[in-house]
Amino acid sequence: MALTQEMIDLLAAGVAHQVGGCTNSGRPVVCRGMAAQHEAGMLVIIVSAESGFEVLDAIRQNGQIAVNVTLPANFRSMSFVGSDAVVRGGGAAYRPLVTARHAAFRAQLDAYGFPPDYTNAWYTPPDSDLVAIRFTPTSARNQTPGPGAGNAVELKPVDLER
Amino acid sequence: MSAGFQDGLTLFGVRRMMEGVVPPVLATASAARVPNVSYLSLAEYVDPLHIALSYQFLNRSRENVLATRRASLTLDDPYTGAGVVMQLEYVRTETAGPVFERLRAKLMGVASHAGMADVFHLRGADIYHVLELRRVPGRREFPGAQPRVDLAVNSRLLSERMANCAELADLLDTLLVGLGELLHIDHAMLWLFEGSQQVLTLLASRGYDFDGAGAEISVGEGIVGTAVREGVPIRVGHMMNMATYARAARDRADAQGIAPAARAEIRLPGLKEPRSQIAVPLRARGRVLGALLAESGHDQFFGYDDEDALMMLCGQFAVAMSLLQPQDPEPPPAATPPAAAAVPVDSSRALRLRRFARDNSLFLDDVYLIRGVAGAILWKLVNEFLRSGRREFSNRELRLAPELRLPDVQDNLEVRLLLLQRRLTEQNAPLRLEKAGRGRLLLAVNRPIVLEQGDS
Repeated sequence: MALTQEMIDLLAAGVAHQVGGCTNSGRPVVCRGMAAQHEAGMLVIIVSAESGFEVLDAIRQNGQIAVNVTLPANFRSMSFVGSDAVVRGGGAAYRPLVTARHAAFRAQLDAYGFPPDYTNAWYTPPDSDLVAIRFTPTSARNQTPGPGAGNAVELKPVDLER
Repeated sequence: MSAGFQDGLTLFGVRRMMEGVVPPVLATASAARVPNVSYLSLAEYVDPLHIALSYQFLNRSRENVLATRRASLTLDDPYTGAGVVMQLEYVRTETAGPVFERLRAKLMGVASHAGMADVFHLRGADIYHVLELRRVPGRREFPGAQPRVDLAVNSRLLSERMANCAELADLLDTLLVGLGELLHIDHAMLWLFEGSQQVLTLLASRGYDFDGAGAEISVGEGIVGTAVREGVPIRVGHMMNMATYARAARDRADAQGIAPAARAEIRLPGLKEPRSQIAVPLRARGRVLGALLAESGHDQFFGYDDEDALMMLCGQFAVAMSLLQPQDPEPPPAATPPAAAAVPVDSSRALRLRRFARDNSLFLDDVYLIRGVAGAILWKLVNEFLRSGRREFSNRELRLAPELRLPDVQDNLEVRLLLLQRRLTEQNAPLRLEKAGRGRLLLAVNRPIVLEQGDS
């Protein structure tokens, strides 16, 4: 399955990213992501290998993943779930994407009074630390706070043209 | 400290990350190890090994926790961008008690601003044992903000100033002025709890375009009304952030037909767009007498240290307010009534004082003045003046007046009189209440008065 255009637009709107996994021993783990984009029916999420080591270990064990993206302006929140996640070195190739997503996210937080440099703490690992996780979303959930958070949202069939 | 805690880390030490400025993120997994990630409203420090998380909605996180009893929580420092991650084991859900009440008070204080008080409620406080606590590695932290004042030293100075006050009016002004001068809190209001009417009445304010004395809100309304109802301090560091979260939840509830019809949001008192607020109850003799509400146009202005300092200062203020009731002198010999009562009233220029008995609300020439205990007192004084011409009254006779018969009038009569005085002054009314010595009042009238019953 693939993402709808609305979901793809959300990824570029300045969202915060959270990446979750679960080890084979049942230990839930979570880390902050820096950027996400849709690539030919798959979702690619960029994380720091250093800060996200637990999540990367869990994904290497079983491929299970949940990625949450939330837009600070209205707390619109969406999760994408997959079971075929793989960890690939990302490196400098993903720096432009991270920089663009960081700028959009920073603009969102500006309205809340966070200094522009505040989010540098999360977005400035060295290129060698950037890691890409790639997976096929099998389901999506609306995580906007409130009753029904976590309910499924329909994905659309894979569009290989994208 | 637990063996699973990274060196130097304690739950108490990371409590400022639990404010919800950067919302906490909870990761759970199903029994089949399918992960789920979601945001929470609030996390709360419980003790060195336990935290509480707000349980508001039945959702997938909740299902997972009940199935596996495991979760991971990540928190970000709102000042530096540093982060911590915890491994949690679910222990129990509390639906009463101090932890639940603290979480509920914080949540309701925010939700009431967004008209969500009926839907955005707390079902329980989920108590978790913190198995592991570690820093998120690899973050380039932003330098934290320096404290704006030395809170301990300056709070002591303010406490000493208040200790020297012998009059209630002086005490009020000393607190509000001192908050600005010594703690750099430039916008503050003191609210008085009217138990008989279940409302809060604004006693005094500082840092606004108008004083607003006599304004009212309901108990439970906004963070100040919630702080009074629950008797706990409430602090919101990023009003926009929390309001947005609450609005998102309301929109979801509306979409599912759960919420009542959309209502106008309650306008925040004071600053048009406050970025931070703190409400601290005024507690004395085991009761809540009112609350201080302080605001700032800056995000994250009030920290835990401010909360601690204001709790101490407000406690002192509340006790002093209770004690500053003058000893009543013996009633003076009946004075010869002045001629005022005998003057024929020219109704064309007379001041019309209208009263609605159901709530003792008073209007001066159709302009609302005050209601409740203060309204009943003024009505009595003016009636007596018109009947006998007497202008001077003692606090004691007011306390003993059978027609007042209001249960809490004895608690802080002096405060009601002060409120009445300020309200009359603010309205530039042609009648005033003035001090006439210890425990005595003088009613000054410079226009004829006619009385009307509004609901007879």
